Amino acid sequence: MKLNFLQGVSWRPVVSYFFLMVIFFALLQLYAAKKLSVLGALLIILPLSVLLAWLLYRRVIGPLNEIIAAARDMARGNLDRELHLCTPDEIGELARSINEMARQLRETIAMITEEKNRVRAILNSMADGVIALDRDGRVLLVNPVVEEIFDLREEACLGKKILGVIRNYDLERLLSRTLESQNSTSEEIKILGAGSEPRFFRLQATPLKSCHGETGGVVVVLRDITERKKLEQMRTEFVANVSHELRTPLTSIKGFLETLLDGAIDDPGTSRHFLEIISQETERLTRLVDELLNLSKIEERRVVHRWQRVNLEDIISRVVSLFRPRAGEKSLTLILEVSRDLPAVYGDPDMLAQVLINLLDNAVKYTPPRGSITIRAMVRGDQLRVEVEDTGIGIPAESLPRVFERFYRVDKARSRELGGYGIGLAIVKHIIRAHGGKIDVQSTPGKGSLFFFTLPLAENVSG
Amino acid sequence: MSPRSSFERALAELQQDILRMASLVEQAIYDSVQSLIRLDVAGAAQVIMSDEMIDELYLEIEDKCVKLIATQQPLARDLRVAITGIKILLSLERMADHAVDIARATMCLSGQPLTVKCLDYIPRMARLAQQMVKDGLDAYVNGDVQKAREMCALDDEVDYIFARVFRELVNSMREDPRTVMQSAYLLYVSRYLERIADHATNIGEAVIYLVTGERWELN
Repeated sequence: MKLNFLQGVSWRPVVSYFFLMVIFFALLQLYAAKKLSVLGALLIILPLSVLLAWLLYRRVIGPLNEIIAAARDMARGNLDRELHLCTPDEIGELARSINEMARQLRETIAMITEEKNRVRAILNSMADGVIALDRDGRVLLVNPVVEEIFDLREEACLGKKILGVIRNYDLERLLSRTLESQNSTSEEIKILGAGSEPRFFRLQATPLKSCHGETGGVVVVLRDITERKKLEQMRTEFVANVSHELRTPLTSIKGFLETLLDGAIDDPGTSRHFLEIISQETERLTRLVDELLNLSKIEERRVVHRWQRVNLEDIISRVVSLFRPRAGEKSLTLILEVSRDLPAVYGDPDMLAQVLINLLDNAVKYTPPRGSITIRAMVRGDQLRVEVEDTGIGIPAESLPRVFERFYRVDKARSRELGGYGIGLAIVKHIIRAHGGKIDVQSTPGKGSLFFFTLPLAENVSG
Repeated sequence: MSPRSSFERALAELQQDILRMASLVEQAIYDSVQSLIRLDVAGAAQVIMSDEMIDELYLEIEDKCVKLIATQQPLARDLRVAITGIKILLSLERMADHAVDIARATMCLSGQPLTVKCLDYIPRMARLAQQMVKDGLDAYVNGDVQKAREMCALDDEVDYIFARVFRELVNSMREDPRTVMQSAYLLYVSRYLERIADHATNIGEAVIYLVTGERWELN
């Protein structure tokens, strides 16, 4: 224990210290005995001190300078520099410790960098947007989803107040409320994104706490709920539509029944007429309920009961023959352009026939007399493509994306006149989807519409 | 805290307040245009109701501005910040009023399908006007003179479309007297949009004045 302070003291300085003492002592003795003049002493001491200075420089000051330079370099961040001083003395020890420290620092920094990169990668690959603010409400971080939503660059918004970056009243209010109260809050907000459609987001703001427990900023996660909002709205519309569709025939039935009960039943002519109307309306109701059941069955994916190889050519000619008489009544020309040797597809023949029936029914309904309807079927790549083109009234551009929605009708009055419910195309879409295909429509108002769908070929479908 | 730094802070806060109001105004313009395109009465009603909040905010921030000038007697750039703050506030408030006007027109137009064709032009005009408002405010946030000038160039396009919409609507009134009502309202709407774009150029001018101290007539 007592020798602890001696550890790390090499023998060289001690020896040279004693050596110097001896020389000094010898000179002192010689000088005292008048054997040496002042000049003589100086002549002996001068070379010795030069030698000593040189040694001091070589052994101590030089290496120390090198170490100082290296330390400065490290402070500037260059940790790759290594000291090559392998002397066994204290200075060598110092150099080794500094090398060790640099290595440790390098490792720690690499670890921290990796950690940071990992966190960054997680943030970057999140499907939700993330914004973090510091205690003063300045932006610390935004992830790529936020960059995309608000059309901004992260570098451009770091250190700015949130309103200078994203001008959204609700977002700013939520963030400042969370900063103040230090409680988690969540809210749904509307954001006017880059596109023309507004987007809806669910925000979850949480106060950031540093590990020392002091309050820091706030982090907010933005989840896109636009789809859900749209679905909610569609469901509301759907219920409203169904109620409306059911009520119209019911009102009429009720009205005629009441009139009959009030005495019209005694007049055979009127009562017969009324009963006919009631029968028609009941028929309409039954058909509507049937189609609704059909639709819900298909939507529930209790689909494609009879999965089998289907020759679409047969189905097309069968369906077309069904429509020939009706087309004849309106003097419409039905043109068939089906490629020869059409390969088979997998699916339910009745459902696929239903698709063609619904498409042709619409085509015949909305094409004025002396028009034409063309049915084409061909192979495109690894898909079978079927087209139904008419020279009808067409569909306005703004209605095109919605025609496959349930109960959507371009012109309500006309459609009802023609006996439509707005379900036919919804059924078509669901059947085609259940078969792994796609359906779409192109149309020019006044010129006609082209509905086309694709189905995967049988040889590409396993089972 | 030195009086200067409290003043600096008040100026920064003022800018935040203006941006807060701007966010509401942008939203109001957007909502009014959307409700017009969809003839959505509920949306239009909401725009009209939200204007009250904007007006309140306007008065509050204006008061702050006036107090700042009265108590701190700012000079040079600081004075310009306060003065342009009031100018921008005024422009924003006018824009919000025009959004309400559009919403009122939507209320009157709803109930019958739109038969007039120029509804293609109005969304385009609306998009341009909204872009100008956004760019003007972005320029204000960043003190970006270049962007302010570019933004003001869009105003010419808005004016051009406005002239076209005007011609088309007058033509449609002449051809089919039944559309006079609708055309008149749409004429108003396009006029409001044109005014919104003008107010956006005012913001651009204010930004240029704020940064350079020079007057710049942009339209």
